[in-house]
Amino acid sequence: MGQANVGKSVFFNRLAGARVAESNYPGTTVDYAKGRMLFEGRYVELIDVPGTFSLQPKDRAEEVAVKMLEEEKEALVICVIDASKVERGLYLTLEIIERGYPVIVALNMWDVAKGGNIKIEAKKLEQILGVPVVATVAIRGEGFKELVSRMGEAKPVDIEKVIENVKGSKAGTHR
Amino acid sequence: MERKLSEMKYEEEGVIKRIDPSLRQQITGMGIREGKEIKMMTKQPIKGPVVVTVDRSNTSIGLGLADKIVVEVAK
Repeated sequence: MGQANVGKSVFFNRLAGARVAESNYPGTTVDYAKGRMLFEGRYVELIDVPGTFSLQPKDRAEEVAVKMLEEEKEALVICVIDASKVERGLYLTLEIIERGYPVIVALNMWDVAKGGNIKIEAKKLEQILGVPVVATVAIRGEGFKELVSRMGEAKPVDIEKVIENVKGSKAGTHR
Repeated sequence: MERKLSEMKYEEEGVIKRIDPSLRQQITGMGIREGKEIKMMTKQPIKGPVVVTVDRSNTSIGLGLADKIVVEVAK
């Protein structure tokens, strides 16, 4: 899951070997798509959902995304974040963590963030959130090996714990 | 000087002072929250949305929402 135009469908296509429509415009995916991917020796179902800013849906496409999440109680959630707009993306990620889903975070468009001189301490973010954080460039497939190999580490985290960690680390990951 | 976001002029900058609680949930996910620096990029005519920059990314906000956000405008 993730906000609009962060590359969720590119992820989906890469991981499931499928071909759902991708474009460089927010809101390309308005319905969900299902596919399969090989994970730890067995096939698992992979779902591509429309982008949403938060879990309080504001339009039809966002409703689809939120409903999908709520229906799939056993889901492992890959939170795709635009690395050049981390704060925005973390909002949704935290909401999903709060609901008790096991999460892995993909800081996508890592190259764009780097080009814009944005430094993100992925390791530190990982410590604070308590879930795996992987840097990716989805259109080139960078970071996918790490992403798939670390999906097993995704686990539910108590949001109170995250809040504690934030307070504990005085130096934030952003200003 | 405090001014509503909807009344800010092109290229004016400021810091978000207050957001009406009724739309806080709706807008935090877009990276708009109190204490954030904000810059007016474009105002669309005929009561169209405003486009602002927060954290280097552009977001468009409906005029109705922009009416409920107060910004401390830098001189």
